[in-house]
Amino acid sequence: MKKNTINVKELEEKASEDTEGISSMERRKFLGFGLTITGLFLGGSVLSLTSSNPSFAGIRGGKALVADYPYSPHYTMVIVQNHCIGCERCLDACRTTNHVPDGGYRTDILERSVPVSPDENERVFMPILCNHCNEAACVRVCPTKATYKDKKTGIVRMSIERCIGCKTCMTACPYNARYFDEAKRAIDKCNFCVDTKLKESGGKITACAAACPANVRMFGDLTDPETEAYKLIHAPGKALWVLRPEKNTMPNVFYTNASLSSAH
Amino acid sequence: MITYIATDSNKSMFGNLIPFLIGFALLAAGGLSFALHAMYVGHHYTFGTTREVPWGLLVTPYFFFACMATGLCIISSLGQVFQIEAFKSLVPRTVFLAVVTMATGLMCIMLELENPWRVGLYSMLSPAPSSNIWWKTTIYSFFLMFMVFNFLSLVLHKEKQARIFATIALVMVLMGILNMNSDMSLLGTRGFWSENYMPIYFVTVSTLTGCATLLFFGWLSKINGGQQESEERRVTNKAVSRLFMILLFGLLYFSGVKVLGGFFPQATQNPEAMFLLVKGNLSLNFWVAEVGLAVLFPLVIILGMKGKNEVWQAIAGLSCLVGCFVLYYHLVIAGQLIPHYYQYHVVGLPEYYPYSPSLHEIMVSVGSVFFFLAAFVAGEMIFKKISFK
Ligand code: SF4
Repeated sequence: MKKNTINVKELEEKASEDTEGISSMERRKFLGFGLTITGLFLGGSVLSLTSSNPSFAGIRGGKALVADYPYSPHYTMVIVQNHCIGCERCLDACRTTNHVPDGGYRTDILERSVPVSPDENERVFMPILCNHCNEAACVRVCPTKATYKDKKTGIVRMSIERCIGCKTCMTACPYNARYFDEAKRAIDKCNFCVDTKLKESGGKITACAAACPANVRMFGDLTDPETEAYKLIHAPGKALWVLRPEKNTMPNVFYTNASLSSAH
Repeated sequence: MITYIATDSNKSMFGNLIPFLIGFALLAAGGLSFALHAMYVGHHYTFGTTREVPWGLLVTPYFFFACMATGLCIISSLGQVFQIEAFKSLVPRTVFLAVVTMATGLMCIMLELENPWRVGLYSMLSPAPSSNIWWKTTIYSFFLMFMVFNFLSLVLHKEKQARIFATIALVMVLMGILNMNSDMSLLGTRGFWSENYMPIYFVTVSTLTGCATLLFFGWLSKINGGQQESEERRVTNKAVSRLFMILLFGLLYFSGVKVLGGFFPQATQNPEAMFLLVKGNLSLNFWVAEVGLAVLFPLVIILGMKGKNEVWQAIAGLSCLVGCFVLYYHLVIAGQLIPHYYQYHVVGLPEYYPYSPSLHEIMVSVGSVFFFLAAFVAGEMIFKKISFK
């Protein structure tokens, strides 16, 4: 049976229409973030992902990738970027729920001015937070395992009493997702509200997602087909992307737009 | 068989060394007291480091002294492990300097931590083999221990035993260098350290700073009467300055590679940082310190003097040390200054993150240099007391 695979060579030869200048090499690395790839959209800058149906296996360097969600529940967040209105209610909710001190933040909203034509730019709000990467650089570099991947959920968590304050994790994180909390004398970061809102809601939602009036932050479980995030990620033909794919960190936070016609 | 260096305490240009020792120790204590204050109130309030640029000036003396110790260990092993005649007489002083520099380096990194008191406990209770930082600290701590044993064995005239410790320390330090590369390549998520040539680069710069230290501090020791003029000393000095010259050419080559990366982005894995270094905000420091002071000036002196004038050799050594300090500073800083989301057209994102060292960071760094100087003077006093052959 002929498998519906993507040929890396073909991928490289595609005419690049990408808006972020992602090279074919980077796109190829993008293939490695652990999900099965079913399609290539918008000139290669975004990829469509689906579940591990073997007949839709993507390839990496010529070998079939077996999509696999190593955690259960495997928490994820899909950001519907073009729905974000920049109201920052999510930031306030995060701050209050998780007692984030002044001067620190666990999540932020970046405002982008994306060139859509030679003399036209589009304003876009881009929420950012810890990507809870499967290949988390922060976890690998921490000398005392003060930051670790939760074996059950895949959440990147902190064990604050073990933190020596070397800040190597901050230096290593490509997403600027960590800060040092002087009061705790340890690193603080997004933990998907595992000890606050997520716990209260029985594992259903985070504070930022609950506070968002525009349904931008779709929190869910990659192993639960009932969650909105699962549906978005597995919707056929849905274009999704991750931030800084060239860093090979295999993030669990995905970005999408509500309509395929709007460029990310 | 190790040949010990003869000393002559009557020929000191500085006379009594105790005032120097006390002066340097007080200056070191003054500088290091800033570290205690920073630890007490928190680095957020006292250091120039930020969320975006979490590693600052203080990481520089750590790399500088740790790499210097590496270089000194490599040079001492030429005489002690590989038994090269010209380097044998250098062994005791070089081993001593390696101990002192590694101790200074480890002290600097401890003072750079927010919670240094947790290190001993959790690096043992919760070791992280995936972390290169954990490996590096462990390797360097063991290295220090073996070099102390090595020195003590030399003092006790147990050369065979000393040689075994020296061999172990050499292996450890080479592992440290390889580890330094992977450690920093991981941080390559921020882009700057992941160049393929890094292990050779580290060996070159480390051994170069080791040679520079021997040229400068060897001369200081000589004018202090710690080392007598002799044919053996001349041969050794010539060998060190020759090695120094070869390594200067090596660093010249690597500086050329950086320049190439700065002008041609396709020639480097870190085009943004190389641009910043060679043509951007750090370029003045790069050209004056990394190229001028670290390489060209010493090279001109060494080539011009042909190893005949020790004063000029010492000046070349000092110039190289200053330049290399700036080189390490750039290695730490340049990659961090590139904003995380620079490709994303973020409104209000600076072209480069700002960073400048705070008074606390400068004082702690200066304090660590004085700590080293105090230890050097103490070493001179020890070398005068112990009757070497
Ligand atoms: S700052 Fe704390 S959490 Fe981060 S690497 Fe160091 S010890 Fe680990």
